[in-house]
Amino acid sequence: MTLKGALILAEADNVATAIEDIEPGAVVPVRLGKEVRTVKALERVPFGFKIAVADIPRGADVIKYGESIGKASSDIKKGNMVHIHNLEGVRGRGDLAKGGSR
Amino acid sequence: MKFLGYERADGSAGIRNHVLVIPGGLLAAKICDFVEGTNTILTADSGSGRTSRDRETIARTLIGLGRNPNVASVIVHSAGVATGYPELNPTRIADEIAQSGKRVEFIEVAKEGGTFRALEKGIQVAREVVQETSRTRRQPCDLSQMAIGVKCGASDTTSGIAGNPVVGYLFDRIVEAGGTAFFGENTEIIGAEHVLAKRGVSAEVSRRILEVAAETEEKAKATGEDIRTVNPVPANIAGGISTLEEKSLGAIHKSGSAPVQGILEYGERPSGKGLYFVDNWMSTGSIFAGYAASGAQLVIFQLGGGGWTDKDLLSTSTAVVAPLMWATANPKTLAVAGSCIDFYSGGVIEDGDSIEETGEKLLQTVLEIASGTLVKVETIKHTDPTQIYLKDSPF
Repeated sequence: MTLKGALILAEADNVATAIEDIEPGAVVPVRLGKEVRTVKALERVPFGFKIAVADIPRGADVIKYGESIGKASSDIKKGNMVHIHNLEGVRGRGDLAKGGSR
Repeated sequence: MKFLGYERADGSAGIRNHVLVIPGGLLAAKICDFVEGTNTILTADSGSGRTSRDRETIARTLIGLGRNPNVASVIVHSAGVATGYPELNPTRIADEIAQSGKRVEFIEVAKEGGTFRALEKGIQVAREVVQETSRTRRQPCDLSQMAIGVKCGASDTTSGIAGNPVVGYLFDRIVEAGGTAFFGENTEIIGAEHVLAKRGVSAEVSRRILEVAAETEEKAKATGEDIRTVNPVPANIAGGISTLEEKSLGAIHKSGSAPVQGILEYGERPSGKGLYFVDNWMSTGSIFAGYAASGAQLVIFQLGGGGWTDKDLLSTSTAVVAPLMWATANPKTLAVAGSCIDFYSGGVIEDGDSIEETGEKLLQTVLEIASGTLVKVETIKHTDPTQIYLKDSPF
């Protein structure tokens, strides 16, 4: 059996990890354990990158492993790719710290 | 669960049978050039102009490497750069290694009449020690005598899904059997420290995990830089990891599920067995030698590599006395760097293999390597230098 699509790692997650190169418009099987859902890809998502499995409004937590991996920096639609263009980490951010040089 | 190892006087079991010559530098390097079966550490971290804390870290690293179970005997010489500092006094280093019951020979350069005479003496002593060492035979040893260290690197999203959890399974098996396992990388628990802290064996250990993350984050913020321009490293981002929190939450999977017994400094030896977190730096050039100094006989580099397209030959032998085993779960990495990869766990992603069955295969591979099978990078005659993890500024 060769798995395709994307994997969700915990119930609370709003992103899944692509385990194949996903093309725009593809209806992608998304697995959480034995459960399989589908999400329609709005854009290309390469192997190893994340696809939103729910709408994520700007400022909301992006959840993977059941934990926050940062906040959405713009409104993300179900089926969008989620990466550094629309997701910001909040930890260790010297650029945002009081007295930071930038 | 047995492997064939070299029983040592202190009850530990070597998976290799090195003669170590320390400290590094010209004399040690030339003895090693001349004598088969010898090994030294290649590092510019002599201790000169370093604080007492950093000098002690260097001494702890040298002593720890000397005491590593993979080392049969040690030759200590007095020609180090910073031997005038009490921490780095070569007699102290030789004495502390000798407490393990190993044979330790001492070459005093001034007494021999200078470097060239000391080199001649060193070569003759090393030849004799190496031949004596070769009389040791491998015996069945218990998994409880195994200590292993892991770093995950060039991490991508295959690391958190498959590569790291498979190593985590191995860690659980080794710890259950009464062995020892080390993980670390103080930057890469930021964002996951609340999850990891739940696994502290005591409230004090949990508090220390949170403290290490907070100290490291404060240092990161004090730079004024966006941490994402430093870590996640470019290879992580090219492999699909977006934030430090995401990297950390994936990274802690390599530690399995056992309770964390304590927090160790770089190169520090644990007081007991079980799983330990080491407050170390993620660099490949630094972390593996530190694990070996803590007592690890084998170190694993669990590679993502999705962001690498041009690295078919991977870093070699930076653990000085412990073999460096490479593992990956990324099929693209296997295709590029297969000549250096010892274990592939990508079946978890590609074929739906379970973490448990894949982890059992990893355990079998580890037992074979522990019994003498070479890791792939051990076939390469090159040793990368070691950068000892020092926390203070030089002066």
